[in-house]
Amino acid sequence: MHIPDGFLSPQTYLPAYALAAGLWWVAARRLRSQLDAERLPWLAAVTALAFVLMMLALPLPGGSSVHAAGIALLAVNFGIWTSFMAVSLVLAMQALLFGVGGVTALAVNALALGLAGSAAAGLAWRIFQPIHAGLALILAGWASVVVPAAIIAVVLGIQPVIAHDPTGRPLFFPFGLSVTLPALLIPHALLGLGEGLLTWLGTLTLERLRLRHVA
Amino acid sequence: MRSALRFVLVLLYIHSAQAHELRHELSQSQAIVIRLTYADNTPFSFETYEIYPEGSNLPTQVGRTDSAGRIAFLPDKPGRWRVKAQSEDGHGLEFAFATGASSGPMATGQSLYDRYGRILAGVALILGLFGLFNLYLKGKHP
Repeated sequence: MHIPDGFLSPQTYLPAYALAAGLWWVAARRLRSQLDAERLPWLAAVTALAFVLMMLALPLPGGSSVHAAGIALLAVNFGIWTSFMAVSLVLAMQALLFGVGGVTALAVNALALGLAGSAAAGLAWRIFQPIHAGLALILAGWASVVVPAAIIAVVLGIQPVIAHDPTGRPLFFPFGLSVTLPALLIPHALLGLGEGLLTWLGTLTLERLRLRHVA
Repeated sequence: MRSALRFVLVLLYIHSAQAHELRHELSQSQAIVIRLTYADNTPFSFETYEIYPEGSNLPTQVGRTDSAGRIAFLPDKPGRWRVKAQSEDGHGLEFAFATGASSGPMATGQSLYDRYGRILAGVALILGLFGLFNLYLKGKHP
């Protein structure tokens, strides 16, 4: 789901960088004040897990591929802003070291996956946790995949409208919303179920490990 | 006389009609074959691509990759070329390569060891960064 370089117009990624810079500053201040030496190793481990999950793509019928992300796992266990920073770090490393996701698209990827994905997961967790904790975790995982996919589909799908030459030929991503929305939402709605299960099992495992650590 | 004129007109018509005829010829040349795959080696099949000469926004070649994710490209001059490939669901890449007068581009395939070695390096870097942050927190709240 990471947008590579060359897909987004400067009219898209420059404002996204301005917005993301402000939000990174806010998130860094919160992280510095809220995070203590007790929680930090756990955050490091889950961030490393998210990095590995994002690097392992699963092939889909039809030639495409998807990957898990671990965003909901971060958001539910460490909060939305901490998750935003951790996912941004993972995306930055992927873009700089692996060429997965573009450097120009980093801010859009961070806002969609890191912020919107974490916020959707956190919200789903808060709403459904009083009803059923397991269901809330599965829905948090599902939302953390589907909401970023919808945002990325919209950002990609509007490129032909906002960046084209005088003849109307798209200068960057060439497919419109009618193509990008189903192409991204349908596979990610299915992948979201897997991400939901991962979030549920991951959170259970983390709780057990923490209890063992405390004991 | 009239018949001769008609004959000439028919000949002229046939000649102009030939301008719309499409022909084909077969030849064998050395093409540069670019293969696009996902990280797990699944081919990037039947997806759109464009190849541009460096510094130009006018593509030299556009099309779709074949079932094996391949593009066959015959550069008409030596120089640098930019390849842009993209799928409808937002996957894709953009990269450049150079062709010489007599030699093709260098292969840029990545071995499994390269890939998983770099994932391990990434994990180590993340843990290292958090370790540094831990030291910073300990310095702040000793």
